[in-house]
Amino acid sequence: MSLASVSDSVPDEVAPGSNPLLRTIVKWLVTFILVVVAVVALYPLVFTVLNSLKTRTGYAQNPLGLPVDISFENYAETFVRMDVPRLLFNSIITTGGGLLLSTVAALFIAYAVTKLRIKGGNLIFLFIIAMLVIPSQVVIYPLYETILDLGLGGTYQGLIFSYAAFGLPISTYMLAAFFRAIPDELIEAARIDGAGELRILFQMMLPISTPAIAALSILNFVWMWNDLLLPLVIMGGSDKTTLMVGVALLSGQYDVSIPLISAGLIVALLPVMIVYLLFQRQILSGALAGAVK
Amino acid sequence: MGVLFPHRLVSCGVAIDRPEPVHPAPFFQAFGQSMTQIDQSSSSGLTRKKRRMRPELILGIALVVPGIALAVIFKLVPLVRAFILSLYQTRGFEDPKFAWFANYASMFKDPVFATSFRNAALVFVTLPVWIFLPLVLALLIFQRSPGWKAFRAIYFLPYMIAPIVVGIMFRQILAPDGPLNAFLIFIGLAPLAIEWLNGATSALFSLTSVALWSFFGLGVLTYLSGLSTVPDEVIEAARLDGAGFWRLLIEIVTPLLKPVIGYWTVLCTSSMLIWMFPLIYALTRGGPGSATMLPEYLVFTTTFEFLNRGKGAAIGMALFVFAAIVSAFVVRRMYAEGKASK
Repeated sequence: MSLASVSDSVPDEVAPGSNPLLRTIVKWLVTFILVVVAVVALYPLVFTVLNSLKTRTGYAQNPLGLPVDISFENYAETFVRMDVPRLLFNSIITTGGGLLLSTVAALFIAYAVTKLRIKGGNLIFLFIIAMLVIPSQVVIYPLYETILDLGLGGTYQGLIFSYAAFGLPISTYMLAAFFRAIPDELIEAARIDGAGELRILFQMMLPISTPAIAALSILNFVWMWNDLLLPLVIMGGSDKTTLMVGVALLSGQYDVSIPLISAGLIVALLPVMIVYLLFQRQILSGALAGAVK
Repeated sequence: MGVLFPHRLVSCGVAIDRPEPVHPAPFFQAFGQSMTQIDQSSSSGLTRKKRRMRPELILGIALVVPGIALAVIFKLVPLVRAFILSLYQTRGFEDPKFAWFANYASMFKDPVFATSFRNAALVFVTLPVWIFLPLVLALLIFQRSPGWKAFRAIYFLPYMIAPIVVGIMFRQILAPDGPLNAFLIFIGLAPLAIEWLNGATSALFSLTSVALWSFFGLGVLTYLSGLSTVPDEVIEAARLDGAGFWRLLIEIVTPLLKPVIGYWTVLCTSSMLIWMFPLIYALTRGGPGSATMLPEYLVFTTTFEFLNRGKGAAIGMALFVFAAIVSAFVVRRMYAEGKASK
């Protein structure tokens, strides 16, 4: 992330009449508080990275300090123990599928209820976003039964559909709110020019709404990738389970050393960290802050 | 296809009753042509309007069906099934027996159920910290302290980390011989170096603190985006009046943030109810005893560990009532912002 330099700072904004010494003290106090919180926020990650680089004996001798000789054997072992390539593939397929399906379904509904003005459009919109009141914890077993009844037990589709359904309310809301801000005149003009509705949707609305789609994709990516309960119940310990379930099950095994599980944790959170680095401008601009699950 | 929507084109004030040019995109051409045919074949104004409505309706239905199907099959049906299941007595793998409200009766008599909601109430007591800590940090960052962009990025980092990963990380950090206790002993606070995850009160306190660690960055970001909407003139005018920056923030900016604070409070409340599962799973599994048992985790253990699915569903229904009331506030706000204006 852009660890912004001090050049970002703007001259202090204390009232003009106040004492310069007091002003300096307040300024340093503020910075001190911010630094302490930053250390608290970063330390667990640093601690885990350091431990993941220690050997088993190196950790036993020195659990809290810096690693004496850096070793990557934990990463090699975690790749085999957790079958990282397989779980990574599963996570990508299910998160990607859920993301795509939920975005497309939301795009369709948002367009239909905001721009087609179909009868009862607002009611449909309300119905979709009202699904937000049903948390996965409440329905987890019947959801699992429903997936089994549909013949989707142990398949990627079962988890993909669940992700899509649980991501749908927020995606629909974000796109509908965005579409509402697009003037109707623009669409009327395209219609007069003879553009069909689907063409308006895909060639006009879709490019315009890239910022909204980017924001909701990041949002959905993070919770789908990080989710534990849905894949844990739907996929269990099968070979189609996700990285998060893999790391949860690995941490429960009795012979797992702390350096080994630390390496597993780093592997599990690395993809999200990469997304954070790549999209930090969009994420931190606050586009997501107003619309979180 | 413009002529398909006469009732709306009128508002544009453009001549609309002209033949529609078939647009060039080959993929939609067939579709467009069939529309044009319908248009040309119709003669009288009334029937024409009626017929023209149909393709729009069909398209509308086609667009909403996938989403509605997802919502119904994977959310509404499971909810209804959860309620039905809560009326059945299930023992392990035996056939379920219809038992009216026996599960609810057993649930209310179960001390663990009472404990789980009492624990949830204890977590709610910390709500002011959840609301005001991010607010204070956002205000400190907002006054452009040196390196504010870096602080903002660092504070949001914990929220990006999966709660299950957070839980496993903190299991090591809070271990009796872990770095937290080593630090406390180092700075001379040895009496505070306790078994964080293994005491009757310390475990729930630790769980809540870890959840706050994981969640506060989102609050900072939420408040910052709220602060950015405060008009510059408001701040400028106050400064001309000679108000100090802090007085300005507390007396003028914070009242303007009331809606954001309200939204964030709702978000925290619902997270306390339905977001702690992976943390409990990694940190304490509800223990010691049932000191960190929260309703959402009780649903899970009752269903999958004790295989009492009927009672698990009944507890789920109790949790649903609370979660739904809280989320309804979010839904109301979303509906107001996203509904089509008439």
